[in-house]
Amino acid sequence: MLRFIIRRLLGIIPIFLGVIIVSFALMQMAPGGPEAAIQGQQRRLTNEQVDSWLARWCLQREDDLGALALEFGGWAGILNCRNQGSEMLFSEQGGLNFLPAFMGGGDNGLLHGDLGNSTNTGRSVQEMIGERVPGTLMLTITALVTWVSVAVAVGVYAAVRRYSLFDHGMTFFSYVFYSLPTFWLGLMLIFLFGPLLGWLPTGGVVNPRDWPAFGSPQFWSAAGERPLDAFLDIGRHLILPVTTLVAVNIAADSRFVRASMLDALGQDYVRTARAKGLATRVVVGKHAFRNALLPLVTNVALSLPFLFSGAVVTETIFSWPGMGRMFIEALGNRDYFLLMGILLVTSMIILLANLVADVVYGVVDPRIRYD
Amino acid sequence: MTGRAVDPTTEAVAAGEAGASQPAPDDYEVSLQPLSQMQLAWRRFRRHKLALVGSVLFGLMVLLAIFGPIIWPYDPLDIERVTKPGGNPPSPGEIFGTDSLGRSVFELVANGARLSVAIGVVTMLIATTTGIVVGALAGYFGGFVDSSLMRFVDLMLAIPFLFIVLVAARFFGSGDPLVLMLIFGVLSWPGLARLVRALFLSLREQEYVMAARAVGVGHLRIAFRHMLPNALGPIIVSATLLVANAIVLEAFVSFLNFGIRSSDISWGTALARSQGTLIQGNWWWPFFPGMAIAVTVIGINFMGDGIRDALDPRARA
Amino acid sequence: MEAGAATAPGPSAPPRGAPPENILLDVRDLRTYFHLADGLVKAVDGVSFSIARGETLGVVGESGCGKSVTAMTIMRLLETPPAEVVSGEIWLNDQELLGIPETEMRTVRGNDVAMIFQEPMSSLNPVFSIGDQISEAVRVHLKLSKHDAWDKAIDSLQQVGINSPERRVKQYPHEMSGGMRQRVMIAMALSCNPKLIIADEPTTALDVTIQAQILELLRTVQQKTGAALMLITHDLGVVAEMVQDVMVMYAGRVVEQGTVEEVLLQPKHPYTEGLLASIPSKGRRGQRLNVIKGTVANPFNLPKGCNFAPRCPFRFEPCPDHDPRVDDPGGPPAACWLWKPAPGYSVAPRVEQGARTASGGEAQIP
Repeated sequence: MLRFIIRRLLGIIPIFLGVIIVSFALMQMAPGGPEAAIQGQQRRLTNEQVDSWLARWCLQREDDLGALALEFGGWAGILNCRNQGSEMLFSEQGGLNFLPAFMGGGDNGLLHGDLGNSTNTGRSVQEMIGERVPGTLMLTITALVTWVSVAVAVGVYAAVRRYSLFDHGMTFFSYVFYSLPTFWLGLMLIFLFGPLLGWLPTGGVVNPRDWPAFGSPQFWSAAGERPLDAFLDIGRHLILPVTTLVAVNIAADSRFVRASMLDALGQDYVRTARAKGLATRVVVGKHAFRNALLPLVTNVALSLPFLFSGAVVTETIFSWPGMGRMFIEALGNRDYFLLMGILLVTSMIILLANLVADVVYGVVDPRIRYD
Repeated sequence: MTGRAVDPTTEAVAAGEAGASQPAPDDYEVSLQPLSQMQLAWRRFRRHKLALVGSVLFGLMVLLAIFGPIIWPYDPLDIERVTKPGGNPPSPGEIFGTDSLGRSVFELVANGARLSVAIGVVTMLIATTTGIVVGALAGYFGGFVDSSLMRFVDLMLAIPFLFIVLVAARFFGSGDPLVLMLIFGVLSWPGLARLVRALFLSLREQEYVMAARAVGVGHLRIAFRHMLPNALGPIIVSATLLVANAIVLEAFVSFLNFGIRSSDISWGTALARSQGTLIQGNWWWPFFPGMAIAVTVIGINFMGDGIRDALDPRARA
Repeated sequence: MEAGAATAPGPSAPPRGAPPENILLDVRDLRTYFHLADGLVKAVDGVSFSIARGETLGVVGESGCGKSVTAMTIMRLLETPPAEVVSGEIWLNDQELLGIPETEMRTVRGNDVAMIFQEPMSSLNPVFSIGDQISEAVRVHLKLSKHDAWDKAIDSLQQVGINSPERRVKQYPHEMSGGMRQRVMIAMALSCNPKLIIADEPTTALDVTIQAQILELLRTVQQKTGAALMLITHDLGVVAEMVQDVMVMYAGRVVEQGTVEEVLLQPKHPYTEGLLASIPSKGRRGQRLNVIKGTVANPFNLPKGCNFAPRCPFRFEPCPDHDPRVDDPGGPPAACWLWKPAPGYSVAPRVEQGARTASGGEAQIP
């Protein structure tokens, strides 16, 4: 099993590298290159900050291949340009530069979380993303859990009670919800539960009258004092965004689970299980379900990137303080480095999530472990 | 059998053994009627009620796209007096109400159809042709060609689609619908390429491919003349979904003002800036254009389902 | 998804109560029909037979003649929308299986009656280990602990001739060959010491050499445990080797029953004779193969009267109109008007002739 995980990890590295290289290439494509963008930060940053940044990223005046390689090394955090020659592989502390700081490595570039500064606010990109990551993770993880559990519950029940009223109803609703554009669904839900019914809050993550700004240190300390209240308030605010985010996925996957269960239930090994005298509950819940789970895991893994795309939509509509909304704002401001930072971080999260999905698949299906 | 006495029983048996007239075996046999693949598929599609409904819905939207701007031309100067900050609610004169500038939402929907549907279809065409070519080459040749092409595809698929689309639209788009179609098409083909590659990888093992090679048919001809028609089923289904996705994508991107310039009318630009009025309780402005999109997408999805079931080789007629 | 719901015995079977002590399985006038979109299929249409303790019965017939449906009806594994057990009784010892509730039937399945299926490649669950799957039945029926059940699984693997069972028991089905998987299926069937084993075409999907091994295994197992065996097959060679009694089926009905010598050497029913005659033999090289003319009856539109009449070379006057079904197992050896007096006739032709086979001759050596 461990060998399997390691093999999968190794398989991700090329793509990981690819994403990094593409980001680097994009950065170079901006007019004047990154140097110009950084130099243009005069209004937000002090001269020292600008110089330090240029040095951290090994930015050169020349444009030849060697210079590019140096810039890549600095930007990625492999090289330390405060040194010269082969010393560049080593950090100020003396260890190999690409290692984390606490292991003797450097503090520059991608590997150490140094993503530059926002052209709009001047603050470090790392800091800004860090503020918004909890919001997005809260939304997407809640959404993922809801999506999978509801789809499985509904799909399995519909498969077991095929052609019942529940089954037909579920099929009808899933057809309809599957086709609704997510952002339109969000808008309609806002109208329905906001001005019309007034049952649920329609924006933000906490009631601004009760709490300091979400993500700020003041918020976390206040939340620490009244954890249950914080939990409930956040929960109330999560309902509509999560529903919007997962409605389409639940609609599609519950039908998928149903089909997958029906397929499993028709297999010979289910017949064998019943011939052994096992109870229906065991036959369905153990024998059929375990096999029906396999395609679902694949499906969920494939849909993970769309969960993040959907988060962009949902965060925008519901004014949710997450990376997605920050992305849209950055787009509007042409906040170059912030955009890149968000892109990189999101891609990494998705790659990791895919790895986890692969491992889960290996756990569920023993045939995969040995290939 | 010699020396039998004449006996009705044995006489009858003898008559039977001599082959007297009997009921024709055909009455008890099952008769078969050969039909071509396409005829079978069409029959199955016709029986799929939802697919027919979907086709009708999509057809109506296409008609709207073609004739809408002709029957209800949009005049930017034809503005109603706005009585409320969010626009006028639906009334007998304006069945869809107006937006906050006084423009008729009905006219917006009728005119927006053209650009939105066009973007959907053109995006699909660009993405499908590119995706088929790349996927077919990768799946057919395998080996190095496959690995390099697929590494590239994997890379493009690792980055969230919406993020890349928005960046491209913001930095390369200029409000021009044609540029947007190109951007969407160019960014959508990797998904289809992956599908086509998987199909071709499995089709490659079929005997007719080996037979064609043995006779000396060239690679490209085998790939596109022999194998592609067999892969068409899932490709067509994916293509229809691409149309739906592109329409929704355009709507969202234009809604954020990163897409089509606001002076052009599409369902997306019709929705731009409409969110503010929702909180005030004015639902009609975002509702109707969005509804048009939803109806189109529902129609396309139903059609796609019908096509998928119709072309499924394992289904009975 | 309610399978195996029971129905009351139909009007044609006079209640006789439990069979005598030495008879393990007694099936009386069983009828299982399928309600399909295209019509009603009478898959099993009045089948009666019995199996004594420790005996082997071979059930032969072409594909679609109702052999598997009979077995599935005994196990009550059919899904009862489309399927419906219209009438009949199935007695196992002193229990009438069609009348007991599903919860009770579950204690019979895998425990008193075990079934082995045709496709070893797909009959085992790919995501659970062999040991898991064998011990599952044991834990449910024999109420053994996890540890004891695992030991029993290892033990039963040994019994079916699998080497290094302690290693194999942890493996997954995809790590084994077809023959080995079928051995595992047999081990699974044996694990709770059933009194009756139903084997539905157990060797059809296997290589010829493995077939012989599996059959040999079945025979050994049966002798050691004293279980009765109902062996369903379309291969007459298998029947000749393995069974004591034979039942020939055609289009949902039993056409002939008897000992293996009687049926194979002196076939009474024209269908049986046709089957035997169509076996290619070395002695008749260079000649056309014999076939039974026509095609199998359309299950949606069975002929009136005798099912086989349209294809029968000895068909005569009463055949298309009257059903020569045999209700009493002690009666005529074949369901055929050649052996039973038809309505309007005083004697049956072959009986009168003193013949031994369908075509009116004496013993035949195929």
